[in-house]
Amino acid sequence: MEVLAPILIPITYIALALVLRSKMLKQTLAVIFSVLNFLVALYLIVLVGREHIIVSNIGSWPAPYGITLVADRFSALMLLVSSIVFLATTIYSVEAIDAKRKENGYFLITYGILAGVNGSFMAGDLFNLYVWFEVMLMGSFILVSFGGEKLQLAGAIKYLILNLISSFFFLAGIGILYGKMGTLNMADISIKITQSAESLSALNPALVLFIVGFTIKAAMFPFFFWLPASYHTPPPAVSALFAGLLTKVGVYALIRLYTLFLFQEDSFWNPLIMVLGVLSMVVGVLTATSQTDFRKILSFHIISQVGYMVTGLAFFTVGGLAAAMFFLAYHMITKTNIFLVAGWVHRQTGTLEIKELGGILKQSPAWAAVFFISAFSLAGMPPFSGFAAKFLIIKSGVLSGHLFVAMVALFVGLFTLFSMVKIWIEVFWKPSPALSNANEKAILPDKLMLGASVFLAILIVAMGLFAAPVVEFCNGAAEDLLNPEKYYSFILGITK
Amino acid sequence: MELIIAIFIGLLYACGVYLVLRRSIIKVILGIFVLSNATNLIIFLAGGVKRNGKGFIPEGSETIDPSLISDPLPQALILTAVVISLGIAAYILALKFRYFEVTGTHDLDQMKNNA
Repeated sequence: MEVLAPILIPITYIALALVLRSKMLKQTLAVIFSVLNFLVALYLIVLVGREHIIVSNIGSWPAPYGITLVADRFSALMLLVSSIVFLATTIYSVEAIDAKRKENGYFLITYGILAGVNGSFMAGDLFNLYVWFEVMLMGSFILVSFGGEKLQLAGAIKYLILNLISSFFFLAGIGILYGKMGTLNMADISIKITQSAESLSALNPALVLFIVGFTIKAAMFPFFFWLPASYHTPPPAVSALFAGLLTKVGVYALIRLYTLFLFQEDSFWNPLIMVLGVLSMVVGVLTATSQTDFRKILSFHIISQVGYMVTGLAFFTVGGLAAAMFFLAYHMITKTNIFLVAGWVHRQTGTLEIKELGGILKQSPAWAAVFFISAFSLAGMPPFSGFAAKFLIIKSGVLSGHLFVAMVALFVGLFTLFSMVKIWIEVFWKPSPALSNANEKAILPDKLMLGASVFLAILIVAMGLFAAPVVEFCNGAAEDLLNPEKYYSFILGITK
Repeated sequence: MELIIAIFIGLLYACGVYLVLRRSIIKVILGIFVLSNATNLIIFLAGGVKRNGKGFIPEGSETIDPSLISDPLPQALILTAVVISLGIAAYILALKFRYFEVTGTHDLDQMKNNA
């Protein structure tokens, strides 16, 4: 039953928000429910830390037939991190989102996204995963076009069409796989693949469709174009939420699929995933250097960082998978926080073009400090969490014999640093240009916004300084992922 | 029968891809609808096409020839997918309408110049 709570909480909020009239009450409830969601995720991670894997069969239909919700340590970690990101963006939105958007149900739709994200992290069968993806996408479609400004609508159309196409790939893959295997439960498919004498290559057409679908959703090379075309258009709080949650669900699905099915035919899939990861890493970071829009630079960095995670997966050792998970967790928190800072800068100055900005350090040292922590964590500077994450990826790369890839990862880190330093100098350090001097106004109320941001910044530092327990947890989760037998025998109730 | 449906699906995909590559947004949207239907048909085809197959087996009759059974699950899957694509279709058309209101164009090349 505990497994159901992360889905029931957002749905309860949506039901309440549809009925309630008072704007104030809806807003208060949004914050309360996000705290509740965080507490449930915290409870789940403690529970899963003890029991390693918990499962719930909806309607008591036994596993391969009914809808199964599974939470293993990987899912629980993702649930916790996404609940943190959601909590911070909700608190931030209370001040940052304008009254008109709130009136039209801004919080309601963010909870739609949360329901989809939480559901995807726990889905035990492929079709269920597809449905949760769609729930999440539907919410994000509405949020990306919410408000109806011209630039936003253009971004929304690109975002929508490419994401729909990725859903078709995924759905077609589900159809073909069902035709071949006669089941959609991931544990059941995994066990059938293991037991069948035939090679996996008969399934490859379906699996390729999955991989294409997920790489579009995760914004990996060569399917990343929708992300930088749309992430800079919605209100910054929305971009922050998207940056924290959406592409990471694609990465999660990729890791889950790889560790359950694809590893069986390692010789075909491993080089492919590795090359895609490395190319995402390099292309993302190089294209970011030529951008001059605050949020566009950050959007391109998402692609590069997704590349790191996928490369960690492709090393396919306990260390590599644990590094990928740690990287996912750190990235979600750090990236969201930088987008939150960008949101504040945008609200204060009305622009995000870095050439027109400047002097933020003087204007608000607190926000500059928050940016400094997040940006240099993203660039992989000690003592922040980014250092530990990159160190783990590179270390596992060296240990698994992929020396060249590890070198590329180091090299990409250097370029990330370059981009972050560029933003730091242009936006925060250099004196404010005469252009924006005219509209330099008193700082708008930002206590809640700053609070949310500082909360994330503290987590970034804490994850860097006290990385050991988190890494230990990730190691445990990685061992589970590398041992799918444990996963499927638990879900299908096979006892030896 | 399977072959005919397979060829038909291929045609639908071809039409869908052709429409998606057009410049007019409304045609791109129509292309998306065609692609979604082609995908639904794939699930239908993958479940096996059979005439007069039994979807449900009455209680008590334990021995039934497996070749007489037809699988009801793909239809349930398609139903779900159709409902989802219906919702998305309604939304995407509304979005298109709003975009036309704001910009007065449905040319995708204009979008590139504006954004």
